Parts: sequence; structure tokens; C-alpha cells
Amino acid sequence: MTESSEKKRTQVDDIDRSMYDFIKDESNQEHLEAGLTPEIVREISEKKNEPDWMLEKRLKALEIYHELPIPDWGPSIAGLDMDHIVTYVKPETDQQASWDDVPEDIKDTFDRLGIPEAERSYLAGVGAQYDSELVYHSMQESASKMGIVYSGIEEALEDPKWEGIIHDHFMKLIPPTDHKFAALHGAVWSGGSFVYVPKGVQLDYPLQSYFRLNARGAGQFEHTLIIVEDDASLHFIEGCSAPKYNVANLHAGAVELFVGERAHLRYSTIENWSKNMYNLNTKRAICKEGGDIEWISGSFGSHVGYLYPMSILNGRDAKSSFTGITFAGAGQNLDTGCKVVLNAPRTKASVETKSISKDGGVSTFRSSVVATKNAEDSAATVSCQSLMLDDRSRSDTIPAMDVKCKNVDIGHEATIGRIGDDKVFYLMSRGLSEEEARTMIVNGFAEPVSKELPLEYAVEMNNLIKLEMEGAIG
Amino acid sequence: MEARIFEHASAMPAPTWYFLHMNDATIEIPAQLSCEAQAVIETDAPLGDATEFVEAMQAAQAAWDKAYGDRPVLTNAVDEQAEELGGLALSAYQKKADAMEQSKSLAAAFTQGMGEEVSDWIREMAVKTQSVIAPAGSTHTAHVQISGVNMGANMTAIDLVAHEGATLDVAIIVDSPTAGTGVTGSSLRIFAAEGAHVTVRRVQTLDDTWTDLDDMGLFAADNATIEVHQTVLGAGKTYTGLAGDLCGYNSTINVYTHYLGHGEQELDFNYVLRHHGAKSTCNLYANGVLAGSSKKTLRGTIDLIRGGKGAVGHEVDNVLLVDEGVSNKTVPNILCNEDDVMGNHGATIGHIKADQLFYLESRGLSPEQAEQMFVTATLEDAWLNAANDVTKQAVARLGNTLVENFEEVYL
Repeated sequence: MTESSEKKRTQVDDIDRSMYDFIKDESNQEHLEAGLTPEIVREISEKKNEPDWMLEKRLKALEIYHELPIPDWGPSIAGLDMDHIVTYVKPETDQQASWDDVPEDIKDTFDRLGIPEAERSYLAGVGAQYDSELVYHSMQESASKMGIVYSGIEEALEDPKWEGIIHDHFMKLIPPTDHKFAALHGAVWSGGSFVYVPKGVQLDYPLQSYFRLNARGAGQFEHTLIIVEDDASLHFIEGCSAPKYNVANLHAGAVELFVGERAHLRYSTIENWSKNMYNLNTKRAICKEGGDIEWISGSFGSHVGYLYPMSILNGRDAKSSFTGITFAGAGQNLDTGCKVVLNAPRTKASVETKSISKDGGVSTFRSSVVATKNAEDSAATVSCQSLMLDDRSRSDTIPAMDVKCKNVDIGHEATIGRIGDDKVFYLMSRGLSEEEARTMIVNGFAEPVSKELPLEYAVEMNNLIKLEMEGAIG
Repeated sequence: MEARIFEHASAMPAPTWYFLHMNDATIEIPAQLSCEAQAVIETDAPLGDATEFVEAMQAAQAAWDKAYGDRPVLTNAVDEQAEELGGLALSAYQKKADAMEQSKSLAAAFTQGMGEEVSDWIREMAVKTQSVIAPAGSTHTAHVQISGVNMGANMTAIDLVAHEGATLDVAIIVDSPTAGTGVTGSSLRIFAAEGAHVTVRRVQTLDDTWTDLDDMGLFAADNATIEVHQTVLGAGKTYTGLAGDLCGYNSTINVYTHYLGHGEQELDFNYVLRHHGAKSTCNLYANGVLAGSSKKTLRGTIDLIRGGKGAVGHEVDNVLLVDEGVSNKTVPNILCNEDDVMGNHGATIGHIKADQLFYLESRGLSPEQAEQMFVTATLEDAWLNAANDVTKQAVARLGNTLVENFEEVYL
């Protein structure tokens, strides 16, 4: 074990982040040229031996990418030069079903991140992506016997049984026309997961995909496609991290979730990218009658973040809940939130978010709740709380509500403030240092999110907060 | 007069997704309207011209420079890694806000709610700006009547300048006593010097054939209070924009908006309140009823600017949806780069609750009658709170066109 990995998380200072911040040699990996051309798109497609329709989709998406404007309402992405982003970096291995077969340095990466340990402890299946490709995929036999499919998308595309289903669902919820980086994703996507849960199947343990971007100046564009059939249930966990570089890296993944009638899907994420990352990720779920989507989202890293998981409640009695926390520290501008569309009678949505800004960080909560004419007797509540830890930071709240239906109830509340001196004073009078007191208060502030996470992730989130809070005093 | 289209009027400072169509309003002024400037102002206060407001702002700038001119302007801290990536990736509006702080110019920060282009146009159409001046320590009132002129754009530009410790109460009624079509509008700049108290009550009762523009800019110095009551009952299209600078220590701006949407009306509200001053307070309360197939958009922004220690901003929009076919858009924003502040907002958009309906039905009212009560109640409330008889008559006139025998039955 190296020196850095022996450090306790709480001893890592605000800049070091060495728990996540280790770089592996990439010189032997295959890199495509930087930039974005039809030739590069064709090359990616060829490497994956894709069906023709997928190549056509990619090329069409590339055209759309060039036509669409860069968003001008959010954080600046002027520092992201697509001519210098490598869109495809292949690790030195094919996908393996056993950790023993994964090359040593890649295995070491995931060992440090605790993935094999998590698999043994509480997961029903694991996928691990390293740069542009999956390097490991495995699922417990019991889940397999239930008829659950958990594989890479490319792998599923090669199976005639699933190719048609992927054709019918891939980039249907997130069309390339949605925004510039959805189009980019459509052109150069690589890796990701395909999950199919058959009718009535309830999986008691979560599946997890972990995405690690190791290469300098590269992009990661994984695609996650999950179909949970009627009356089925799934908890899916997504984890992400990367080492820091002094050049921009890009993450523009896409997550499409199809939730069947009376089905339930919980999608938990801790996005802990390094602080040179432009995280321009798109996530969307659609629920049929009685379907239920739960989003649990923690956004910690990234230089710039645009992240707004969207729930489309398309069937009567469908439900969605979004619980999220964003922690913007030095040098970060994180624009996060969610979108909800109530598009059927008696649908219900709840949104509860927390954001923390510190050391000059900028956090923006942005949301939209749209109730269409079909949303009779529907209801939505949005609650958003922001904490400012100093006056060199910024916290903005931009929640939009659009109601086109009479019999709905939409409620919204938001507050912005700071940690009260009286609370810090009380805790210090009980023997805590000021830093400990503030960390405790921030952990308490984040508790509604952390309590929704699996224990191991809640611990990770609390450690991330502790890590961000170090040096916060004085 | 040529047709005019203002494509980005009443824009909120921090935009959101374009697909929502909420960021700003597009205002169309039809062609071939005559230019009118026919407001009637009755007041016991001295009158002046536009220089009064400009001079008051210059005096405020001098006082501000003396008090805070040496105060360093902080920007967001940036770490070494962010510097390597070109600095903090601020959005366009965040950069603009930083630049405004750096400029230390009160005049540059001052805007009106509908934006410079519309404000300038109204003032140009109004030909001249009249100032109502409340000298230091005095108390004055003013009544302003703006009537629709058939096939005309009847625009008014008024500055209200309340000097130290003065009290100024202004009532504005915008009505269409005779049938016709056209555009009415007012541009108000309000300056409240130290300890001054300004109250403005604007009631609009135009018929559906009219468009109304209500554009205000507010400035509050130390311990000053500005209260604005806006009652929007009529007009086919209404655009209301209000921006306010709470520059003074312990300054207060309260805005109370009551609206009634009916028929095919379109109502657009844009509020921007900027807290520069320590211990400043703002309250934005909007309450309304939407009936028929009316559409409303409300953009409310509370901006808690660095240096405004102890500032408190509070914003609420409560909307009752009465009929199928109504549309309501609300976006209550809080922008904040000061930690020692409290900002909160809330919005409730809904219909009459089942238990409330049940109670009313048990008293013999049908659901339709119960919902109609909210419409008449809004009109009654406007009548009861009218500042003068002219306003009462205008509310009664509009009420009679909306509700059968309104005046006879309800007033």
C-alpha cells in the first residue's frame, strides 16, 4: 500500500484529496486523436463493431452538436476546448468477469476506491469503467437466475435478444436535440451499463457502476440504460471519481431510466469528480402508471457542474422524489437541481435539496416543476436550503414552476443563510473545537440526504464534507 | 407611431432554461397609435422635473462614497487549480453582478423593472418627466389619473423624490372609462432619502382591449421605507416591472401585489430587489386569482449583495387557480453572495381545497359559485382599499363588466 492510500480521509487537506487523487500511467493506453470529427466518431463505432443504426445515430448527433449553441444561462464553459478533449481512451484490457483478470494497476485503482470490497459486502452486481471502456462486470448468480440482465451496453448490443430493446430505448428520453452536450454524448458515447429487470422481480441488493476517468485531458461519455418492468424493483448506485490535472477533463454521460407500471427504481449517485472536471451530465427517468423513481444525488467535485436529473411522470399515480446535496468549494461553480414533469392525473413529486458554498465556491440550485393539462389532482413540493459558510462564496436559487392545470397543488419554499454563531458557541461550550462544531452542523444539515444513502456511501459523504470543511476556519 | 417589439423586456437578472419561456417578456406595441401624454396629477407637493431625481442620486452617491468608498470590494476567492483552468467559471449574470459591485456606482446599479429599453421608450413617449417633491420633514400626497386614449399610447413619466424624513403618499389609477383600444403606461422613479417614507398605490382597471405597462425603479437610503401596492384587475395584457435598490442601512422596501386574471388576460410581473445596505429588509407579497383562460408569469428576484450584512429578503407568491385553461408561471429567485443574511421565498399554487369547498357547499354554494367568490372578493378588496373615490369608481366600473350587478350586490 502506498503512503497516500494509508492516509486517513480526515487528514487529507482541502487541496490534496489524495483519497481519490492518484494517477496511473496511461502511456500504453490507446488514445484517439483529440477533437470531434466524423472520422473519430466512425472510428469509435468501428472499434465497437456496432450495428449500422447506431453509427447513423452517432453521426446525426454529431451534426446536431455542431448546430446547437453553447448554453449561456449557466456557469461559463469557455475553459472547455473540445479540440483538446480526447473522446476515446481504451484501457489495456477487455472487459473481465473476475477481478483477478483485471490488470494490476487498474485493479489497484478500484481497490483503493473500495469497489471489490463493496461488491463482496452488499452489492448484487458491479460494473467498473476505466476511461472509455468497462474493465469489469459481474453479477451474483442469484440475481442472474431472477432474469436480471446487467451488462455493458456494447455487450448487450451484440445479443439479438437485446439489440431491438436498446434500439427502441437508446437516446429516446434524452434525444441529441435536447442540448449541445446530449448531442456530444450521442456522437461519442462509450461504455456504461444496460440493466433489465423483468416483470415482478424485486432485487433486494443494489447494483453498482463505478466510473473512473484516469486519462489527462480526456472525456468520459458512458451511457446508462435501465429498464425496470412492471411491478419490479431495483436500487442502482453510480459512483464517479477522477484524479486532478491542470487541464480540463470532461464528463458528459447520459442516464435513461424507464420505470414500468407500479415499478420502483432508486438511483443513488455520489459524483466526486476532481476539480478540473466539467461535469455536464444528463439524467432522465420516465414513469408509467404507479411507477416510482427516487433520485439520491450528491455533487461534490468538478470545476463546473451542470446536473439536473429529470423525472417525467407519464402515468396516473406515478411518483418521484429527489433528494440532493451539493457542496461547492474553492474554484467550483456547481449548477445543480432537478426537473419534474407532472403529465398524468394524481402524480406526486417531492424535491428536497441542500447546498453548501465555501471558500469562494458557487452553488446554484436550479429546478423546474411543470404541471401539464393532464396533471389533474397532482401535487408537488419543492424545498431547498442553502448554507453560506463565508462571504467570498455565492449561493443562488432559481426554482421555476409552470402550471397549466387547475386542480393541482404546487408548493415551494427555500431559505438561504449561514451557520448561526449561537449554535457554534453552544457546541464549543460542550468541548468541541470551532472546526468540529461547524463540521457537525454541516453534517446535520446534510443528514436528510445521507440518511437515504447506503451506509457505506453515507460514511463517504460525511467524510467528503469533513474533507471540504478542513481549513474552513481562519 | 411605428410598431415596436421589445423582445427581452422585464428580464430576470439570472436566467434559467429557455424551454420554460420565463426569462423575460416580449411586448408588442401596435402601429398607428397616437402619442399621448395625458396624465392628471393632483398634489399638494412641489413639482419639478427630471433633474430632481438625478441630483438626489448624486447626493446619495456622495454620501455613500463617504461612508463606504474605502471599503474593499471582495470577489469570490479562487484557488490555484481554478486559476490554472482560467479562473472561476462564473456565469454571465454572476460576472455582471461582480462588475457592478466593482463599479461602486449607485446610478449604474439603478435600473427599472422593465429594463432600459422599455423605460427609455415610455419616457420618450411621455415627452417630459414630472417630479413630485417632498421636502425634508414634510408630508404630502399626490393623485395621478391615467386614462386609456382610444388608438393612443398614453404614457406618463413621474419621479417621486422624498427628502430626509419626508412622507409622500401617492395613488395612481389607470382606467379606461370609455371604450376603445390602446396602450397605457407609467414609468416611476422613486427616491427615498434618509428616514423618508414613500407609499405608492397603483390600481389598474382597464378593459380587456388595452395593454398596460407599469415600470418602476426604487432607491432607498438609510432608514428609508418604500411601500408599493399594485392592484392589477384589468387589461388584456399587463406588464409590471419593479426594481429596487436597498442601498441604505436599515432600509426597507415592501411590495404588495394583488392580481385578478380573467378572460384571456396575460399578466407579466418582474421584481428585482437588490440588498446593498446592511440590515436592509424587503418583502415581496403577491396574491392572486386566475380565472378563465388567463395566463400569469411572475419573476421575483431577491439579490443579497456582498456587504449587506444582516439583510433579510422575503418573497411569497400565492395563486388560486379557478378555471380550467389557466396558466401560471412563477420563478422566485434568491441570489446571494453575502453569508450574514437571511433569504427565503415560498410559493403556493393551487385550487380551493376539498374541505373548503365542502364547507361552502354545506352553506348552499355550488363549486362554481364558491370559485366566483374569490373573483368578487378580489374586486371587493380592491374597492375597500382604494385610496380615493376615483379609484373606487374605476373598480366598480370594471367589476360591473365582469360580474353581473357587481356594484349593486357586492359593494
